[in-house]
This record gives sequence, C-alpha cells and structure tokens, in this order.
Amino acid sequence: MADEKIFTEHLKRRVAVVTGGCGGIGQAICRRFTNEGAQVIAADVAPMPEALQASVYYFYHDVTSEQSAQDLMAFVVQKFGHLDVLVNAAGIEIEKTIEETSLDEWQRIFAINVTGTFLTSKYGVPLMRKKGAGSIINFGSYDGFIADPSLAAYCATKGAVHALTKAMACDYGKENIRVNAICPGFVATLMLENFFGDSGDIESLKQEVRDIHPLRRYGTPDDMANLVNWLAGDEARYASGALWVLDGGLTAQVQQMKL
Amino acid sequence: MQLEGKVALVTGGRQGIGAAIVQRFELEGAKVVTCGRGARPSNMAPNIDWVQADVSCTKQMAKLKNHVVTHYSALDVLVNNAGVQIEKTLVDTSDEDWDLLMGANAKGVFNAIRSLLPIMTSGGSIINMGSVSGSTADPGLALYNASKAFVHGLTRSVAVDHGPNVRCNAICPGWIMTAMSDSAFAVARNPAAAKQDALARHPTGRFGTPADIANMALWLAGRESQFVTGQLFTVDGGLTAASPLNPSLF
Repeated sequence: MADEKIFTEHLKRRVAVVTGGCGGIGQAICRRFTNEGAQVIAADVAPMPEALQASVYYFYHDVTSEQSAQDLMAFVVQKFGHLDVLVNAAGIEIEKTIEETSLDEWQRIFAINVTGTFLTSKYGVPLMRKKGAGSIINFGSYDGFIADPSLAAYCATKGAVHALTKAMACDYGKENIRVNAICPGFVATLMLENFFGDSGDIESLKQEVRDIHPLRRYGTPDDMANLVNWLAGDEARYASGALWVLDGGLTAQVQQMKL
Repeated sequence: MQLEGKVALVTGGRQGIGAAIVQRFELEGAKVVTCGRGARPSNMAPNIDWVQADVSCTKQMAKLKNHVVTHYSALDVLVNNAGVQIEKTLVDTSDEDWDLLMGANAKGVFNAIRSLLPIMTSGGSIINMGSVSGSTADPGLALYNASKAFVHGLTRSVAVDHGPNVRCNAICPGWIMTAMSDSAFAVARNPAAAKQDALARHPTGRFGTPADIANMALWLAGRESQFVTGQLFTVDGGLTAASPLNPSLF
C-alpha cells in the first residue's frame, strides 16, 4: 500500500497529543500529524522511537494516573498554550475469558483503555475550550460491537469507550469540541503479533484470517492514521459522536461459513 | 392461551417458519388465516383458513383484506413472513429475479401492511420477518440481503407513523433449519463439513428451528410486548454476537 501522499498541511499550527504515541498505530498517527504541519506530543509510558525523535515531542504519560494527565496538560499549556487534537490511542489487550481473568487484570485493562481515555480527555478538554474548538479521537474496536473469543475484558473496555465517546460528544458539542472513535479491525502491529502467538502454524493462520477480510489484507497503522487525520481536521467539522469502523470490510459480513 | 379470541394473518404459512407460526398461534387460541401462491396444502389443519393469494399482487391483497373483513370483521395480528431467497451475486441477478424477490420480500410486506393495517384493531401487532442478513451480508445473497434491510427500515417507519394504534416489530432469524437453509448447504463443496463448521459458530451449539422463531412471534403478538415497537429482534443462537473469524482457528 505504498502510496505517494500529498500532504496539505491542514493541521498547520495545530497542537496534537497522541497517547500511546510510541506504539504501532500511535507512531503512524504522530508521523502523519507532523507531515500535516501539526505540533505533536507523543504521550506514552514506552520510550520514544528514534525515528520520531527529530519531529515529535515526547512526554512520559501513564494514562492511568490523574497526576500524569495533569502534568501532561501543564506541559502542553506551557509549551503551546492550548490543545487542538487529542488522540486516545493507548490500549492493551488481554486474551482471556472472564473465568481466566483475575480482578487485577480486569482493573488494569479498564484503567488503561477506559480510565485512560477519561483522564486524558478530562484534562485535555479545558485546553481545547481555550481555543474554542477541538477534536478528540478515541480508540474503540469492532470488538465493542461483536465479540472475538477469549477477549472478554477487552471487548467490555471497547464497548465502554464507544459509549463514553457518545457521552463526551453530547456534552461538549456546543463548545465545538468534537468526539469520535475509530473502531479498527485487524491491524498489523505488535498487538496483533501477540494475539496470534508463537506456537503452531502461525503463517497459515495469518493467511486464513487475512482471507476472511473482503479486502484480503490486514490493516496498516497508516490506514488508521488516514482516518484519524481526517477526523482531526476541519474536513470533519460536522462529524461527532460517531463510531468509525475501519476493518477492511470484516464485520460487514455474517460469519463466513466454509461453504 | 395467549391469543385467545384474536384474529391473526400469517403470510406464507405453507411451510417452514410460517407454518410453525400458524401452528403456534392456533394452539394459543387465535383464529388463524394464512396465504400463499398455491392451493391449500393437503396437510394443513382443517381449522386454519387458507386463502390463495400472492403478496406481491396489490389486487390479491385487497381481496385478502375483504376476506378477513367478511369473515372476522377485524385483524389483531399480522405476520409478514412470506419471502423468497435467491442465491446470486448482484451481477448475476436478472430482472426476473428482481421482480420475484423484491416482489415478495419488499413489495409484499408493503402491500400487506398497506392493505391490512386499516382493518387492524387498536393495540394490534405487526410482525415482519427481517434477517441477520439485513444488517450484515451473507455472500452471494445480494438482493435477499438488501430486501431484508428494506424490511428493517419499513418496520421502524410503520411503528413511528402508525403508533399508538398498532405496534410493528421485526424478527431477524439466523440459520433456521428449513428448506431454505438446506438449499444453502446443498451448494457447499462438502455439505457435511459445511454444516459442522456452521454449527461451531453458534454459541448455543445448534441451529434454530421454526419453533424458535414462532416463540418470538408469539411474544411480539401478545400483551407481554405491549410497550415494544419499532425494534429488530435477533434470534440466531448467538451467531452474530461473534466476529466473522472462524472460531476453530483460535
């Protein structure tokens, strides 16, 4: 999917925070925002990848910590004065049924996927209000609508993010702060590699899952960044409270019986 | 006897889901009228009123309405069950296919409601047969999928426009063991393996039966559902609660 992109710099002088900005999808979003002229802060507990160091600011941000969210936004104010775009991309996955999931694991995945989205947004919204506009993009998942086996807590967190997205859109629309969620399917990242594991015939498995997709490929982090980029900018000025499924057509289908 | 004294019309009651609904409504005390394009089925219970009528034909539906008015004066429950399935992609579909399928599945539901709603009693219930395929696609069933999405949309409109007088809901069956689903397995490369695979995708571990759908239809027809309208009720053994991944892969 190596396409020649023409960047319009439609995010010129915009300030964008990307939580999980050092992860697979997060990096692609940081890169794209930078190419579109934005000032980008990658907020993550993971260290900054070398490739981003020249163009992206880094802030150590633990999304589960209220203090960390306050510190992050204090940094943004001090550095830029306001915030235009917040992408809540930090997230984890636990591959277990509810019986296998410990209470600690349950609380940890909710702390990152749901509380993280809540806290970073809670302290980000006032900085958007300063500017009189803003766009928040949360990470849902098609697993927030329909389930994959042994991903119970993950499915539940993504359903929570979907509802939170609508609630935030409802509360802040009048202040011209838009809130949307993108709902990825299978995206080629480290999380997907972990999902497939490392035992058995992984290659055939990957191929079989790939071929269930109407587009016959996995998504790339750039595919995700394309939509996040659109939702961040003024072209999407009437888009709010919506859940944007981006899965290569996977969930447009009823289960694919082997006929 | 949840439908004691009620008059119910079920379109397409000859076989499958329609026949199960006819049978159940009759057991629950309803006077049941059903219709189809052919002559009265030889195995149909004598107290079921069969009218030969094609739902796609406006005139025949007007006649059916007159029949109901003459014999029962009013109608309490209307089940729009008549439908056909054509296993083709869009580019393979002919004009004749369109007329047959959209005639029964789309125009038929429109015709039946337009003709019969005016004679329905206050508090009456209309139950349409949607499908899980109206919300997510089954491969090679292009017009069928689209016709069921039409039914879903019409269900909401009828509920909105004609409440509080009548309620209107749709049932969205998944894989129900009928002649229609058998024909889907028959085209499989390995019908037995296909059936095994399909079973593994049902959290309930079995396919649906026409009686499962009749259970839902009965609930929607009766007083227990009197605050329920404009909704789609999926009865699919959990099929569409799971993603399209093959569960045997993980």
